[in-house]
Amino acid sequence: MLIELQKLHKKFNKGNVIALSDISFNLEKGNILAIVGESGSGKTTLIRLVAGLETLDKGEIILNNKIVSSNSIFTEPQDRKVGMVFQDYALFPHFTVFDNIAYGISKLSSKKERVEEVLHIVGLEGLGKRYPHELSGGQQQRVALARALAPKPELLILDEPFSNLDIILRNKLREDLLKILKETKSTVIFVTHDIKDALLISDEILVLQKGNVLQKGKTKEVYKKPNCKYISLLFENITF
Amino acid sequence: MKKIFINLKRDTNKWSILLLTIVLFIGIPIIIIFLNLIYGPGETWGHLVKNLLSDYLINSFFLIMGTSFFTLLFGVLSAWIVVRYQIPFRKQMQWLLILPLAIPSYITAYSYAGIFDYGGYFEKIFNLKIDIMNHFGLIMVLSFSLYPYVYVTTRAFFLNQSKNIIEASKLLGAGEIKTFLKLILPLARPAFIGGLILVLMEVLNDYGAAKYFGINTFTTGIFRAWFSLEELETAIYLAALLVLIIFIIILLEKRQRSRIGYFNTVKNHQQIKRIQISKIKQIIMLLFVLIPVLFGFAFPLFQLIFWAFLTFKEVLTLDFLHIAFQSLGISIFSAIITVLFALFLIYLSKWNRLKYIKYIAKIGILGYAIPGAVIALGVLIPTLFIDKNIILFFNNFLDTKIGFVINGTVLVLVYAYMIRYLAVAYSPIEASSLKLGKSLAETSNLLGKGNLYTFKKIEFPLLKPAILSALILVFVDVMKELPLTLILKPYNINTLAVKAYEYASDEMIAEAALPSLFIIFTGILPILLLNKVISKN
Repeated sequence: MLIELQKLHKKFNKGNVIALSDISFNLEKGNILAIVGESGSGKTTLIRLVAGLETLDKGEIILNNKIVSSNSIFTEPQDRKVGMVFQDYALFPHFTVFDNIAYGISKLSSKKERVEEVLHIVGLEGLGKRYPHELSGGQQQRVALARALAPKPELLILDEPFSNLDIILRNKLREDLLKILKETKSTVIFVTHDIKDALLISDEILVLQKGNVLQKGKTKEVYKKPNCKYISLLFENITF
Repeated sequence: MKKIFINLKRDTNKWSILLLTIVLFIGIPIIIIFLNLIYGPGETWGHLVKNLLSDYLINSFFLIMGTSFFTLLFGVLSAWIVVRYQIPFRKQMQWLLILPLAIPSYITAYSYAGIFDYGGYFEKIFNLKIDIMNHFGLIMVLSFSLYPYVYVTTRAFFLNQSKNIIEASKLLGAGEIKTFLKLILPLARPAFIGGLILVLMEVLNDYGAAKYFGINTFTTGIFRAWFSLEELETAIYLAALLVLIIFIIILLEKRQRSRIGYFNTVKNHQQIKRIQISKIKQIIMLLFVLIPVLFGFAFPLFQLIFWAFLTFKEVLTLDFLHIAFQSLGISIFSAIITVLFALFLIYLSKWNRLKYIKYIAKIGILGYAIPGAVIALGVLIPTLFIDKNIILFFNNFLDTKIGFVINGTVLVLVYAYMIRYLAVAYSPIEASSLKLGKSLAETSNLLGKGNLYTFKKIEFPLLKPAILSALILVFVDVMKELPLTLILKPYNINTLAVKAYEYASDEMIAEAALPSLFIIFTGILPILLLNKVISKN
């Protein structure tokens, strides 16, 4: 078990808004989990808790058999070995592509090879000297992905990976992304409001609504046997 | 209450403790002023209430009402004219209208005394003698030197408005004037009230102009209680009352802002279109916007240059140059220290995970709302306390007699400047850092880098323009600061602002021109530089 969440609670705004209540789930090494929900469902809060960008109110988060978040323990994000690709990519605008990717690699000796390696994985060989603003949206996303992969994180989190891209690009990138993630044997949590993304890429799905887990299971099983009307409505009108 | 402390141990990190220390260091003088509202005044308070307090209250109220009216009149209307109408020299007028900010109001006051004096050029040109050394004169001086605060905030608001809103109004059949009065003015209210608050803080902060015109205000009262009556308690009590008035004004503003929080919501919009108007209207409007530029900048500047020509031989001595360098040195040093503390406050707040310390940290930027004279007293109390104890310690345990260790040094002065102008450095840096967003720093953290490394490699390089702006703004403010400097400055050190004040107090008003001009030019250069930096981005 790579990651375990136990009875997570989180409130916002001085305790008036419940962001997450009683969330528990596990994720095996090498699996891809899609967290699906509308805006306001708490999905972003959930991944921020896992990454260590927020503190929880109750519950535990266990990464690699080590408690990283609880009421008495908090491991800083820099010590969690969790990589993340933000919705806006968050590329460092004053660094080249090469420097962006090299940023998180700690071993000086292997820096250059590792950057070349991940550039190859995401298919951006030869673009190392460019600055982020000289790249297209799709290329920027690949750089962000390469940067997150470079230090070989235990867990990779993707926040709405396709939301800033147009539909044609989106379809192509879904395939590419899946290939990259499987090739690198990454353990992944990715957040989306688009059920289609989840069906095409994930091994498991977790559906969130208003801070509660509606269903969690193997992607195929959830698709075949949705446990409530809300989820079956999500799958309506989806064709392949 | 119990809930707050549940995660206290988990969420306290080294940054929380550092932040709390720094907030205390900045906040103690401010907290002490507030505590004195509870302690009560000194012995002379009865005398003050009987003879002077009503005078202070009435005069300050009169000044507030008068300057509010005139700064709004000139600030809002000129902003609307330069944004909306195609008038001659529009581009030049846009930035000329800002320039009066470069002249501190006490210097404008000195120059007005010359302009309207017997044989002054107002009398020569118009053959008219006006006595301006009264309430009305002071209101005009303060209005013409402070209206740019209203102008700048209102103009920025107009530039961000969509043209659609005006076109909608026109399509509904409203004329130009009706559109302005019924639509534009109410919409712009949060903007110009925001500018007006800055004006009022400056009015209540002013010592030099009111003193020179012989008007008793709260601030001159504080000086009187401290220097003439030598009663710190009474001075502080007055100061605390003044701060109370200012906080009431700020609260009122917050309320009106929250009731109507409608800044433009559309992101990509077309700016308000400029319209052509008849030649006569053009000239009338040009003349209108010329009034504040002439009275707030050109006339005072000419008067000062004229005086400087008459007196530079006596004034421009080695001693004067020495003061100029001291002034520059202190201002640069203070600017650096202030920006450093602004960065501490902003970033330690981010790195600390305890919410309530974040709220407490806001105390740090209250200084700008508090008049310089008040901050000076707030700084005096704890530093005097420390000095007394150091002296006692040396006396009792080491058997040595020593004088004040920290009082009367530049350090206390710089400490006070830092508290007073922290918000000036804080705002541009905070705004830029908000614009950068959280995700860059969070990404860096997730890539395994600590907060300090992240700041050095990611945030600092991207914040450089904002940090430069902050340095310049604080530098200019310190160069022209008068009331705080008068109270805290060491005997062996002088600033240009104090030198100008001393000349003016000694009835050597023409001699005050040279230090004044020096302050003005150090103020104009950075404004131009800043304009370039901002327009480049």
